[in-house]
Amino acid sequence: MPDATDFSLADFHLNDNPNVLEPPADYLEWISDPDVRQAFTFFEQQLLTAPRTRSEILSNLDRERRPIINLTSYNYLGLSTHPEVLQAARETLDRYGLSASGAPLVSGTFDLHVELARRLAEFKQKDDCLLFSSGYGGNLGALQGMMRKGDVIAMDERSHKSVIDGATLSGARKVFFAHNDPEDLAAQLEKHRDRRILVVLEGVYSMDGDLCRLPELADVADEYGAGIYIDEAHSTLMFGENGRGVAEHFGMEDRIGVSYGTLSKSFGGVGGFICANARLINYLKGYSSAWNFSCSPSPPVVGGLIKALEVATRDSTLRDRLWTNTEYFRSRLDSMGLDTGDCESQVIPLIIGPSGEKLFRYATAMQKRGLFLQPIDYPAVPAHRRRFRISMSSQLEEEDMDRALNIIEDVIVKDRD
Amino acid sequence: MTKEEVIEVIKRNIVENLDDVEADSIDPTKSMKEYGANSLDMIEVVSTSMRELNIKIPRSELAELGNIDELADKFMEYINKG
Repeated sequence: MPDATDFSLADFHLNDNPNVLEPPADYLEWISDPDVRQAFTFFEQQLLTAPRTRSEILSNLDRERRPIINLTSYNYLGLSTHPEVLQAARETLDRYGLSASGAPLVSGTFDLHVELARRLAEFKQKDDCLLFSSGYGGNLGALQGMMRKGDVIAMDERSHKSVIDGATLSGARKVFFAHNDPEDLAAQLEKHRDRRILVVLEGVYSMDGDLCRLPELADVADEYGAGIYIDEAHSTLMFGENGRGVAEHFGMEDRIGVSYGTLSKSFGGVGGFICANARLINYLKGYSSAWNFSCSPSPPVVGGLIKALEVATRDSTLRDRLWTNTEYFRSRLDSMGLDTGDCESQVIPLIIGPSGEKLFRYATAMQKRGLFLQPIDYPAVPAHRRRFRISMSSQLEEEDMDRALNIIEDVIVKDRD
Repeated sequence: MTKEEVIEVIKRNIVENLDDVEADSIDPTKSMKEYGANSLDMIEVVSTSMRELNIKIPRSELAELGNIDELADKFMEYINKG
């Protein structure tokens, strides 16, 4: 019979405990297993300082305070601690306070929210923009607001949970196509020719760091009269000559119906947004519940984000630095013979393989050496492709990268050899 | 419990979870995908079937199975282990 480490969070979704206030009985038994508890220590690891590339954690492994090189936080452009961004956030906090204290339709719309939305729409070259208080809520609210029972949402099989949940909430039929496979997308859409169809793609897939095959997939979507929705959570401010994302990178922005982004990754704040034509944005204000029924984003965050957009787009310094760092780090990993999959972005998977034991042993050893690199286990990734996910940052100095690479070599490469 | 009975349990849960599928039309040599199931539907069918059969199999062991018949064989393996 399987032991506790063969199970994962994928196995306890169905709860048949007669007491609805309790989790499943077998889940409680599972999480008390010593090996499972050890793996769970990597969850909710506390950071004691800002998520800079040099930070400090209170280690869950041994309760020690430990200085670390941070390759896990997705502060890709370092904007969450950029001095100009922080100054703008402070000034906004003093003037507007901490909370918007209202939903956007009623009293939560400040001049700040209007300004950020206008600047984002201009940046993405769309008519208008809707701001959401969370990134998850952005995809949830947009898809729920746009699509209805009887419609079809076609998603890549590696879509983010927020996309899947938004599709579920909409009541539309969910159709998954094989990752980045235009032929499979066509085969799936062929079954639903008479429906209203939305094809949802991601600019950069967050567990693999590869790009969507936008030219080929968009051709299929067009052939079936489907709208295109692209999630540029991991690509906005980084890809394309002007940082507008993967759609700009491929020169295809005019073929995108809805462009989604988060405000927590390259932007360094929190929240989400979509840019689209003015008619759709107007309609969604009445029907996108995650927008309509949430308090508007916190004013100091919005003030910081307006400045973050300005800093990231006034020249290409930050993204150039990110790509220089990514190229350096990636080439060193490749020269060590490590498996980085089909990575094409600043998200670099370091694939370990099927062994959960190795994954957590490496994670423990690297953290104790001062490298904060979190393990990504099944079911977040396939069981035979367990991995670490490296988030590169423009803030990394060569010295930090060399230290991190030395630790990776000592812990992973030497164990392999 | 026989394999035929296990297949009946799976078929019943497919019918309950998918639109426009009738039990008699389900061919066990085919994948649930051919009846319009997406990955979330399959998880639901497998979870509810396992609950009914009182077995618990790690999802990681089910990932490579190709059709309903192979799923029934895997279920039988665990039923026979008691």
